[in-house]
Amino acid sequence: MKRVFVFDESKCCACSACMIGCMDQNDMDPAAGDPCFRQTFDEELDVEGGQVYCAYLSAACMHCGDAPCIAACPVGCLKKDPETGFTIYDNTNCIGCKSCALACPFGAPKYRPSDGKMVKCDGCNTRVKNGLQPACVRACSFGALTCMTEEEYQAAGSGKACSALLSRYAPKKMI
Amino acid sequence: MSKMAVIGFGAAGYHGAKAIRQLSPEAEIHVYSNEDPALYNPMLTTYYVKGAIPYEAMFPYGSAEEAAERLNLRYHGNCAVTGLRPETRTLRLAGGREESFDRILIATGASAIMPPIPGLELPGVVKMRTARDALELKALLDSGTVHSGVVIGASWVGIKVVEDLVERGAACTLADGADRMFSTAVFPDTAQRIQRDLEAKGVAVRCNQMLSHVERQGDGRLAAVMKSGERFSADMVAVCIGVGMNVGFLRDSGLALGRGVQVDRRMRTSCEGIYAAGDCCEAPDLQSGFNRNIGIWANAVRQGAVAGTNMAGGAAEFDGNFLVNLGHYLDYDFVSIGDSSSCTQADRHCRWETGRYFIQACRDSQRIKCINLIGGAGCGGVIKNAFLKALASPGAALSTQTVCLLRQEGFPDGFIKFLGGDCLDGA
Repeated sequence: MKRVFVFDESKCCACSACMIGCMDQNDMDPAAGDPCFRQTFDEELDVEGGQVYCAYLSAACMHCGDAPCIAACPVGCLKKDPETGFTIYDNTNCIGCKSCALACPFGAPKYRPSDGKMVKCDGCNTRVKNGLQPACVRACSFGALTCMTEEEYQAAGSGKACSALLSRYAPKKMI
Repeated sequence: MSKMAVIGFGAAGYHGAKAIRQLSPEAEIHVYSNEDPALYNPMLTTYYVKGAIPYEAMFPYGSAEEAAERLNLRYHGNCAVTGLRPETRTLRLAGGREESFDRILIATGASAIMPPIPGLELPGVVKMRTARDALELKALLDSGTVHSGVVIGASWVGIKVVEDLVERGAACTLADGADRMFSTAVFPDTAQRIQRDLEAKGVAVRCNQMLSHVERQGDGRLAAVMKSGERFSADMVAVCIGVGMNVGFLRDSGLALGRGVQVDRRMRTSCEGIYAAGDCCEAPDLQSGFNRNIGIWANAVRQGAVAGTNMAGGAAEFDGNFLVNLGHYLDYDFVSIGDSSSCTQADRHCRWETGRYFIQACRDSQRIKCINLIGGAGCGGVIKNAFLKALASPGAALSTQTVCLLRQEGFPDGFIKFLGGDCLDGA
């Protein structure tokens, strides 16, 4: 059953618990330069009329339906999991060329300096296939991040799937 | 039952055949290749040479035979197509036999150019395009006889051969006929920076040097003799001056040709029922409005899939070409997005240098024209997306997430505003 990540910005305070959950699940060592697959943003953006827009966001791979990183990888590391719909990978033959990063509009694939290979969020594919929540979702205390089946998402009609995340923002003129 | 032909078995041919098979389980699909082995990725050759991947990994879809079995194709290996009669969609095959089809996909790719000058046949002179080229260079370097090398052509391939030499401790000279490295992709200032950074890694870079010929010296080494009279002596000479499209067999066919086969966004050629995809074709370019070839792997994959879908009765369009290059070598990277030659004096030219990034970019009031970025390939896709967005809708703004990401990654505020970040919007 295909899954979607759903992000509700109104519930996010950029506390970064999702990042910690991701680091823990994936045994990352930030001190060694390991990139975290999920990033949080706490930014104040000056917008038109002297206003400040406070952005609190959590972002990782959007698991695009027609993921451009898959076609871009010269070694064929990336593919879709037919069951979950997540964009998964095996980087055994990754050459660290960053072609996937150049294909991704969201900056999801990251370069890992310790082994010179690219890494990214795989939706905690193994956890999800075994009936668990992705680590970032489990760590979110505010319900800002959820993961549900496509059917559940359609029924909820929330319009907050990560792929639709940004379409809700009205243009805000920055200065 | 429809009868299809795919000429050439690289990324475009494979994805063309795959798309046909997905939509037409019954179709009879014939694939012709004159390469042995076929279905390798040319971009991976130098990675095999340096030992980053095993030989098999140069074939991301497995061997041609395995792929043919998986997709139920009739694979004709070592079978060159020597001519095409478009009105009856008839192929002339090596040996003179002819075969007609309902639809044809031309996916013959490109070959390394070896100019007709003396000395290129000498042992120790190599090119780099095919899996065989990779085997040859690896064997040469593994032999332990190469202590120095000259690479002719500061191209995307040439720089990777430089990397193969440097990583093995060989002294290396990189020579190019243009006045700067990567002259078609980067601004002069960026080229200067790239050259300086490469020289700091021990590579001698010589621009404005056209190759005259190669000769064997009295001491047994090779000499690349330049038109200027200068000689670069080394144990090995790699000629990496570019590629030519494999369309010679189509010259008398009546098919519209430029440097390659002309196609529209559905990858249709000028003749009904005949399609082309990948490195042999010139597709519409988003920035110039003209047709051009941007020979990168992702384009071949997309174009092949589009062609195959349309051949099988589906409807698909290629998004369109635009110039984008990614240089990645010796722990260094740079990205060039857009056409530097489209920039004029009337445009806004900007430059930013931080400890982490060197950025040079140009735009007019509506669109970004070209961006050179050293050290930021990890965000290349985010920046490329901003470029494409402005191309599709002039004056387009950046999303909140994009602004946040670029800030967090240390990009200067001025650059973020240059990309369209003075206004936030959806998407």
